[in-house]
Amino acid sequence: MIIRLWIYFLKTALANILNNRLIHLISMGTITISMLLFGAFMLLSMNMNNWIRQWGESLSMSVYLNDGIDEKARKEVESAIKNFTGAEIKGFITKEQAIANLKEGLGEQAGLLEGLEDIVLPESYEITFKDRAGSSIDPKVVKSTLEKLKCVDEVQYSQQWVDRFEGVMDMFRVVGLAIGGLLCMAVLFIISNTIKLTIYSRRDEIEIYKLMGATDWFVKVPFLIEGAAQGVMSGIAALLILVLSYSVISLKTIDILGLPVINIAFLSSEGCFFIILLSLVLGLLGGFISIGRFFKS
Amino acid sequence: MIQLFKVCKSYGTNKALDDINLRMRKGEFVFITGPSGAGKTTLLRMIFGTARPTSGQILIDGINLSRIGRLKLDLLRRKIGFVFQDFKLINSKTIFQNVALALEVAGERPAIIRKKTHQALRAVGLSGKEKAFPLELSGGEQQRVAIARAIINEPMLLIADEPTGNLDPDITKEIMVLFRSVNLKGTTLVIATHNRELLKDTGQRIIALDKGRVIEERTG
Repeated sequence: MIIRLWIYFLKTALANILNNRLIHLISMGTITISMLLFGAFMLLSMNMNNWIRQWGESLSMSVYLNDGIDEKARKEVESAIKNFTGAEIKGFITKEQAIANLKEGLGEQAGLLEGLEDIVLPESYEITFKDRAGSSIDPKVVKSTLEKLKCVDEVQYSQQWVDRFEGVMDMFRVVGLAIGGLLCMAVLFIISNTIKLTIYSRRDEIEIYKLMGATDWFVKVPFLIEGAAQGVMSGIAALLILVLSYSVISLKTIDILGLPVINIAFLSSEGCFFIILLSLVLGLLGGFISIGRFFKS
Repeated sequence: MIQLFKVCKSYGTNKALDDINLRMRKGEFVFITGPSGAGKTTLLRMIFGTARPTSGQILIDGINLSRIGRLKLDLLRRKIGFVFQDFKLINSKTIFQNVALALEVAGERPAIIRKKTHQALRAVGLSGKEKAFPLELSGGEQQRVAIARAIINEPMLLIADEPTGNLDPDITKEIMVLFRSVNLKGTTLVIATHNRELLKDTGQRIIALDKGRVIEERTG
């Protein structure tokens, strides 16, 4: 009896979708776009988190020297650096190189530096620490030790940037939640209105069902299935587009500001499942809202 | 079968029904007549449970409609057939699907649905039209589909509101013959009509309404 009833519900829902296919297609397209935005946001957020974590794990430092120091003082700095376990000098940046790097970094805006003949950038050592994960190097100790040397002006390390960036990431998460919430509300609004349209186009039919003694749930369930199907199909479509976009974009690695190269990872299976589940829940909820309102009125 | 005690129904200040006391026995064939606005449709809606009385009680087969819940009302409606002037058929469904719907709603098995639907369509003379859609049929044929749907559950009560209102005299006679055959099988019939021709020499009970009150009860 129950299986028979569900077969009937599924057949009715499928027939309703096919009979109102244009409305459903438009609605599914809109929901797919919303879920695509949601998925893209999840992907971005996840990769930024990974990126920051990896960035923090591969510590690099810039040791800026005071102006006009001699070769002896430089050797002193070099030996102080080498005293730290795993420390490796990646290079020595001269004043000329520093200006050249700055110009390169500015790209088309390099013209801004023209006329600034007196610009002086400090010489610096670029150092990295091998296998930092698992080692006991405290970047703060390295910084304070090196800054005690007379010829060292300042030591900057990537962790400082990571710490600063963490704040930006926190803000990003809050904004993400807000945007995610708004997208969910938009999807709810779209689904409930689509179902409302199909309900109103079939209100005479519903009246006949009720006159024949159909229970409220007998009438409601096919509409709920419609909503759920719309949600799930849109969720799957959004994921497929996301996968396609991910595989089409060949730039799977990004090198930003000379920081460690990172790979763009795709959503985990749990993440994909979450998107489909969320679409299903939103679809069901949209159906509930519209059919509930109809029966109330 | 049907008992109405001091039933009143008002829409704002307008009294659609005023102090109606009626009793209809099981297997009876009753005509409700009167001019437009007399309260015929309101009375049928009360009996069918699609409208609630402002005051008074209605009992159908011993069940008080004022105290019945939504689900029980749905279950009760499965024992009541209905036929309306506008047929109330679903135009996107075939004739077979329209008739079968009454059994699908009741959760009947597909094999039984098929068998009973064919039987009902045969009983109203529409065998062979199963795959047609309502708008492909004449008015008389559409009303026969509605009757087939109303009788498929072998209802204890069949309510018809102006069932021949849109039909020509010959088709009207055919439809009335169908109703009589349904009544002969034991179904109580209540038909609302303002067609006086229909009431001539019927030998059935006639209840005349005017301005929401029963003004006459007689046998036609």
